[in-house]
Amino acid sequence: MNVLSKKPAAGEEMAKQGLAGNQRLYALVAMILIYILFAVFGRNFFSFETAVNILDASYYIGFLAIGVTFVIITGGIDLSIGTVAMCSAMIGGVAWEKWGLPFTAGLVLILVSGALFGLLNGTLVSRLKLPPFIATLGTMMVSLGISSIVSKVQTVNFPSRTSEEGWFKSVFSKVQLPSGAMLPTGAILLLAVLLIAFVVLNKTKIGRYTFAIGSNEEAVRLSGVNVVYWKTIPYIISGLCAGMAGIAYASTYTTVVPGAGQGFELDAIAGVVIGGTSLSGGVGSVFGTLIGVMIMSILRIGLPSMDLQPHYQKLFTGIVVIIAVLMDISQQKKR
Amino acid sequence: MNHRLLKTFTLIMLSFALLLSMTACGQTTATTTAAPAAGETTAAPAATTAAPAEDVYIAVVSKGFQHQFWQTVYKGAQAAADELGVTITFEGPPSESDIQAQVQMLDSALAKKPVAIALAALSTESVTDQLNKALTAKIPVIGFDSGVPNAPAGSVYANASTDNKAAGALAAENVYPAIKDKLAAGTTDMPVVIAVLSQDAVGESVTNRTLGFVEKMAELVKAGGIAEVASVGHDKFKSGDEKTAKVLIDVGVSATTSATDIASAGTALLSKDNVVAIFGSNEAAANGILDASNEGVDLASKGILAVGFDAGKRQKAAVSSGVFMGSITQDPYNIGYKAVELAFKAYKGESVADIDTGAKFYTKDNMTQPDIGQLLYD
Repeated sequence: MNVLSKKPAAGEEMAKQGLAGNQRLYALVAMILIYILFAVFGRNFFSFETAVNILDASYYIGFLAIGVTFVIITGGIDLSIGTVAMCSAMIGGVAWEKWGLPFTAGLVLILVSGALFGLLNGTLVSRLKLPPFIATLGTMMVSLGISSIVSKVQTVNFPSRTSEEGWFKSVFSKVQLPSGAMLPTGAILLLAVLLIAFVVLNKTKIGRYTFAIGSNEEAVRLSGVNVVYWKTIPYIISGLCAGMAGIAYASTYTTVVPGAGQGFELDAIAGVVIGGTSLSGGVGSVFGTLIGVMIMSILRIGLPSMDLQPHYQKLFTGIVVIIAVLMDISQQKKR
Repeated sequence: MNHRLLKTFTLIMLSFALLLSMTACGQTTATTTAAPAAGETTAAPAATTAAPAEDVYIAVVSKGFQHQFWQTVYKGAQAAADELGVTITFEGPPSESDIQAQVQMLDSALAKKPVAIALAALSTESVTDQLNKALTAKIPVIGFDSGVPNAPAGSVYANASTDNKAAGALAAENVYPAIKDKLAAGTTDMPVVIAVLSQDAVGESVTNRTLGFVEKMAELVKAGGIAEVASVGHDKFKSGDEKTAKVLIDVGVSATTSATDIASAGTALLSKDNVVAIFGSNEAAANGILDASNEGVDLASKGILAVGFDAGKRQKAAVSSGVFMGSITQDPYNIGYKAVELAFKAYKGESVADIDTGAKFYTKDNMTQPDIGQLLYD
């Protein structure tokens, strides 16, 4: 990576984006292939119902993955997103259920809490120069602890579909049409956030500096850019997205258990990697990330349709991740 | 570029070929196990149901999978499936906090259009949508183990779970013969005490076990010729006249469910005069008895007979070393078996009702026998 970084930045970046584009294409084709495979061999897999289930299982991981894509492009990592998502959901849920706050205020609190955890990560990494792996590992444990403390180790139940706040499920997860079918509204939200993330990453200063820091942080610093500031932003975005993941989780699964969320970050990071974002930084795309997340979601729903235990999902996700990284490496070598 | 693309696809296709071959293996074992069941001449009625039941698929979604308790439930469920000639899948989340995993399993199960579902929900709230979907699609849901409390009306047809009151009574039935002779020594001034340690008086299962023990014990003592029996300690378990009682059933309810509080409630019970027996109505209470008695040493010196409930490591050790006379265990094998059986009956349109899957009393003599041993989950 360092060798690459010394090459002229502009041309190299374009070439690298081209490579990421290739892998994105492979991922897309692989996703369609896997879907067709399940459709042929799975039990009742090819149905609208299953498609909705696949989307349902992808929301929380999807938001996490979109957010952490920013951090990974800077060459960093955020291991805290899973527990931060659940901790934020817990804080918002407790605020509504136990402290008597209005429900919408609880939702806002979830986003704020996620963003604050992101700010903490960003500060630790950019200002205090902690390695991202260690800093976010610490935050992971901190958020795990806070979620248990705030909830007093009690489960929090978000509103059910029939309750007064039932709109929550309709907006963030899915809404029941008069015909009885479920319309996946959460997917619309995920796509909207994806588009915003795409614009931020590719059309704004935030995105340009995110890529630049990932390619060559030293060069960015030497050109007089406030790296401490611009390196904090991706972590805040990641935290904010974790907050959204918390909301998505709560609306899809209703019950939030203290101490949950460990392992979600790895699913999200796997999605990012499958989507062609390089863990060494400087290369990446949020669309690729979404494809990666969808591949894992299809595996998660598809394997049981072939009467396979869900642990096989881990096995096959692992294989897909390894293939993705191998491709990333071989393409870097080729240059 | 093209050959790289080709290489990637080959890899992916290979991995899926691997997957497919594994599924294929799974299916052949399923059919081979079903075949002898259908061929057996003794199983004539089963064979007739098995023939049209080729494609009958029942999804079992449990609260866990790796734990020995769930593995035994799985064995029972599979045994029932083999006998009935139906296909089942048995899935459970890695831990009880993996709610999303269970919901995803249930979603997948529903999409596969099973004829019935057996479910032990981690949280009823998280699966309300799915239960309503099953209700609309007229897929019967059978609760097992802790079942699906407060489920939408009509969605859950029946439950296969332990009748905790009966399980508590089973403890009383086993304790009574061992202390029968000592009870005669009780007088109004100096009643004989049978102690019961209860973790709380709120939780439904623990309360019912305690109540089952207290009621059965009082009944047995009366039947044995001592009419002056009373139970004290908590309003929920009160009966008889304490002042004239010759046999006193004393229920100690812990202030909180923390181990130290349960132990001090145990100490309070054991320090009473004339205690002949003590029953701990769940795992925590059984451990509390051990904590309060210097790991059982004091029980022996005072001649107090102890009986526990469930089968944790400490408790099993206490039983096998003779510190406890025995303990009650639930029957996970039967829970799994009955769950699938009820699901099959519900699919057939037969009327189904809640089933008590029973409990077993284990002692150091029978705990190594295979039929009891497999029920002794940690």
